[in-house]
Amino acid sequence: MRIVMVAVVGVIFAMGALAKPKEGTPQYKTAEAKHFATAEGVELSPAFVDYFYAELRAELTKAKLVNEVIGEGEAVDDADAPKSLVISGTITEYKKGNVVKSALIGFGAGFKSLSMDADVIRRSDKQNLCVLHVHVKVDPRWNEKVMAKGAAHQMVKEMKKALTEGTKPA
Amino acid sequence: MLLNRTLPLTPVLLIAAGLTWMACPQAGADEPKPKPENTISIQFGEPVPPQKFEHSPKFWIADVTDRSGNPQPMLVMKERGGLFLDKQPTAIVKQAIEQSLKAANLLAADQASADLVLRVYLFHFGLAAGSGLDFFGKVEFSTMVKNTKTGESQEVKAVGTSIAKGAVRKKSMQKNVEEDIEEALHDATRNFLRGTQLKEAVEALSKGADVTPAAAPSGGKPPSK
Repeated sequence: MRIVMVAVVGVIFAMGALAKPKEGTPQYKTAEAKHFATAEGVELSPAFVDYFYAELRAELTKAKLVNEVIGEGEAVDDADAPKSLVISGTITEYKKGNVVKSALIGFGAGFKSLSMDADVIRRSDKQNLCVLHVHVKVDPRWNEKVMAKGAAHQMVKEMKKALTEGTKPA
Repeated sequence: MLLNRTLPLTPVLLIAAGLTWMACPQAGADEPKPKPENTISIQFGEPVPPQKFEHSPKFWIADVTDRSGNPQPMLVMKERGGLFLDKQPTAIVKQAIEQSLKAANLLAADQASADLVLRVYLFHFGLAAGSGLDFFGKVEFSTMVKNTKTGESQEVKAVGTSIAKGAVRKKSMQKNVEEDIEEALHDATRNFLRGTQLKEAVEALSKGADVTPAAAPSGGKPPSK
């Protein structure tokens, strides 16, 4: 009985060990995140764009989607270019929210909201791999940088999903 | 009549003035002072391997100028008793770039023997305004790359960012801020040395140096119309 138990535990560990590298191996070598542009009428400070850029890079590193997250404008070896991504985008809409409306009505009314579009392209041939649309809403009393954090997290999550689905055989 | 109205207000005004006077020295006492326990040392760590250049020029860092406009550049954080750097940010940035250039054998022995002279203007070093849930480290500088022979120069910008976890304990906070700034410095140095802007600047300035001797008149006379 003991031998069977030890064997079962051993098999479980072996399966875990085999499954881990498959999940941990990134599909792409490098990813370059660019500072997002702001559409006309979007009243956000350049500090917000800077912070979002940093958050996006941090989220990309955390997601382990790529081997290395490089800074904006960094050179990539020609050999690595087909396995490299470039992420650029635009903040299309920002609503400041309304504290009074949020307090009186609740249920998401008066929340700050942010919409952005992003393109993920392959560095070598500039082929568009996926287009992302992200929309986040936060309490109007919260710092707008919290919104950047949420948007970066959501963007990387959607990107990972889109890229994984795109590479799956039909 | 007027005196009757203003007299009851006098004690209130006196109390307000007294409180303001008491608060002023208190504010001065709250100003953080650098002590060994609230000072961090930024270690650059492993040098950044620069990109490969066609002619492998020799660089020399002439100077690093602080253009942040910060009256206390060594004060990283004012809250919780303050957090200070042990060196000036300009010295830290100079050391980081020099270290990386030296490791790749791209650092000249002196300014006279250098092909390209770098003048760095530091715009931001340390923490920037973040979400409040974490620390947002940022290092930003601009460099004027000058060809010593032709006198031509080009600007190269670099920025490095890092996000570190927030902390409740003071020791953890110091550790996280230190790591955050180190990461941002590493990132900025990498962005500078491996950036396409530097590559283009070096190529353009090298071309200028190749063309100038051929274009210049041998007799040293100014070109005629």
